Amino acid sequence: MKKNIKEWFLKRVPVDVENTSKVMSEIMLKEPIPSHMKHWYYALGAAPLILFIIQVVTGILLTFYYIPSTEMAFESVRYITEEVRMGFYIRGLHRWGSNLMVITIFLHMLRVFFTRGYRKPRELNWVLGVVILFVTLTLCFTGYSMVYNQLSYWAATVGTNMIKEIPLIGLPMLELLRGGTEVTGNTLTRFFNLHIGFLPTILLVLLALHIIMVRVHGVSKLEGREDDEKTYPFYPEHFYHTLIIGLFILSVLSALTVILPPGLGEAANPSVTPNHIKPEWYFYGIYSLLKFIPIKLGIYLITIFVLIGTFFPFIDDYLRTKLPKVKVHYIFGILSAVLFLFFTVFEMFSN
Amino acid sequence: MTDKDSLKTQKLIVGVFSVLFVVILMIIAGVEMKQSVSPSPIIEISGLNKRCVDCHTSKGIAVKAIDHWKQSMHAEQNISCIDCHTAEETDFDAFFCPESDIRVAKHPTPKDCAECHEKEVVEFTESKHAHQFWLIKNADRSVFEFPIGTRHGCEQCHSVSTMWPDGSVGECDACHAKHSFSKAVARQPETCGECHLGPDHPHIEIYLESKHGNIFRATEKDIDLNFKSDDHDQIPIDIPVCTTCHMDSDGQQPMTHNVSARLAWESQAPWSFRTVWEEEKLGDWKMKRGRMESVCKSCHSPDFVGVYLLTADLVNLQYNEMRRQFVYWTKKLTASGIISRLELDGKYYSDPVLNGWDEVPEDMMYKAWHHEGRRFRHGAIMMGADYTQWHGVWELQEDLGKMITWAAEKGDAEAKRWVDSNHPGKWIPFALYDIPGNAWGINSHINTTPFVYNNYPDYWERVYKNVEKAHKEGLLTDDQWELWLGRYNNKDHYLGTKYTEQNDSLYKHYQDLDKKDTEAFKKQAVELELPGESFWKY
Repeated sequence: MKKNIKEWFLKRVPVDVENTSKVMSEIMLKEPIPSHMKHWYYALGAAPLILFIIQVVTGILLTFYYIPSTEMAFESVRYITEEVRMGFYIRGLHRWGSNLMVITIFLHMLRVFFTRGYRKPRELNWVLGVVILFVTLTLCFTGYSMVYNQLSYWAATVGTNMIKEIPLIGLPMLELLRGGTEVTGNTLTRFFNLHIGFLPTILLVLLALHIIMVRVHGVSKLEGREDDEKTYPFYPEHFYHTLIIGLFILSVLSALTVILPPGLGEAANPSVTPNHIKPEWYFYGIYSLLKFIPIKLGIYLITIFVLIGTFFPFIDDYLRTKLPKVKVHYIFGILSAVLFLFFTVFEMFSN
Repeated sequence: MTDKDSLKTQKLIVGVFSVLFVVILMIIAGVEMKQSVSPSPIIEISGLNKRCVDCHTSKGIAVKAIDHWKQSMHAEQNISCIDCHTAEETDFDAFFCPESDIRVAKHPTPKDCAECHEKEVVEFTESKHAHQFWLIKNADRSVFEFPIGTRHGCEQCHSVSTMWPDGSVGECDACHAKHSFSKAVARQPETCGECHLGPDHPHIEIYLESKHGNIFRATEKDIDLNFKSDDHDQIPIDIPVCTTCHMDSDGQQPMTHNVSARLAWESQAPWSFRTVWEEEKLGDWKMKRGRMESVCKSCHSPDFVGVYLLTADLVNLQYNEMRRQFVYWTKKLTASGIISRLELDGKYYSDPVLNGWDEVPEDMMYKAWHHEGRRFRHGAIMMGADYTQWHGVWELQEDLGKMITWAAEKGDAEAKRWVDSNHPGKWIPFALYDIPGNAWGINSHINTTPFVYNNYPDYWERVYKNVEKAHKEGLLTDDQWELWLGRYNNKDHYLGTKYTEQNDSLYKHYQDLDKKDTEAFKKQAVELELPGESFWKY
């Protein structure tokens, strides 16, 4: 019976099963993993992927009830949170999932950066990773705005305002994104579209490319130990390692959702500007910096910083030939991490 | 640096920053998430206000006032110390803060509040909260309650109507306790109960006795009183507090700070009368009653509201007939010289129909109005059964009896005849109002027992004439008269007498049970004789 079904199926999907599974097992299961990856904090690359999957599942469930209109957006989030069975839990997982996704991406980047995992020939995968970070942050921003409470409405207004500063195309881009000059129902439908359609699709493609690149190059070994670092196959140890991280993340997410569920705030009121507008915490660093320096200068500085960060593998490579004794990546990395943490914490306390 | 050292450094840096990022960012994310549930206000203190706050904090002066202010909407809106405590040189309460050169107003008045809350202050000024009746109306109470006795007494509560040297009237923080000026505190029934309690107007006690107060107490942990009622198209809480009926919006009418806008009776006065207070602005008593009924109907059926309020209205009218007796006797006793007014140099310091204090009938008269007379009326209109009954009509009757008995002892022949009479009707020396049945339901046997029903065949005709007269005099609305007539014309149903026969066996069952109770108390108590001798023989 089983054989018949298999034959029936293979006639209709003519695939060389044996060869394919052999290749797949080579790629998927036997991938050699360097032994330093047995340490937990070297193994966080899978965490954002796991969180992305959680975000997709919980996000789909949220779209069952969410209505992207000025009249209904806040009310539907309230309905999800207060009335839909387990709605608060799904929303909590999604909200906390986004927070943890940003944090785990940061952790993954720290590890890759300080171990110089981006070094030749993996520079482009670093660039891809940086793009993934920005797509993720854009997803966070659009998602946060969709709650349509006072904080998120005004965060969306101030956040999108920054686009205006881009020379020449700034203003048209701003109007395209907002669907007008102000943040309105048009903005909400645009953000909704970006949040559930365009951006996740892009992210999925980028993640796939990112992983394919890792597989094509092989997981990078520790610098200086390329020849003698031992490896072990992906399956079973690293596979279960990843699975444990996945279960751990789900437990942490559940606990966080129960202990600190996301609230609702006040419904958005475009005619009342709150005294204090603040973005989500991952933008605190930038937000805080922009308080100290003129907005145009700030945006240029940040753009320069982002460009340096994005193409750092090439810059690092170049500088190492010029200054072989200086660990430029440590200096740049530590400085960036410390400044980011400083401004983020400073902004929190300045509230 | 060897490769091994280099790897160690690398591991250390990755480890340290991983831990730092996880700990710090998770804490920040957690704090953010917590604030998303109950966003704590962000208070910015700058400029002159910063000087006030810093100095007061360092010297420990009124620091809690600053803490309370920080919880206020004022603080959130950046309205700080000097915005309310601002003073012109000529202001009556201007003074220089001893530690600085800042001129400060000691006591912001409604004039200051009106800078931003003009509507609220105007509404308040047009309410009876602002009225000076306690100064205008009474005899000189200092005869009986010397000034120091009233400083922290009458004057504390009646500060709600303070007439300030700047011409404004009132005391906003009587309800909106400073410096948080919280809406929730103002709505808390105990805030009204700070003054509306005690023997003369036990409103908080009546409220707590009522179903309203009981359910409020049982569910208050889930009730958030911090809301702006005009923002809601219906009452946002499920059980009324004082302000719900007297002030808040019910979706049909705006919220008002005029507590008189929904009152149809002056039932605190010596005589009950329909309100004429600020008629030009608030409309007549029917308009005011309409506002109150609208709130009642948010929860209750129109029929219940109609019957309940009509019954309460008849109680108010009935009180007047009882008071007429007290007035009759004190006037008669004063005229005959049995009692006399307090007098000095031709000026009277007491009033036989309001207050006298030094003679029993005057004391009875005062309490019959100011204490039990109010309790009778206010209990009836706010669901305080015990205050209508035992602390109300029962004490009124008791005092009337004491008064006439006292007059008889002093030789008044008419009073003596009343004392000597054993006719049950002597307790009702006044005309009666009544309504067939009550708002609570049809009770088949309750109306089979009253003496007046069984001994006066024309009882309902007498009552009819009285209610009709009240209607004709404009003391009841046409709708109320129709409602009354509806019950009058279907008396047997509403009085329950139509259903007496079919419940006779049920009634008999309870009569049998009562017999057993009676036998038990006779045996256990009445007929019990102790063998040990007593210590006094008559």
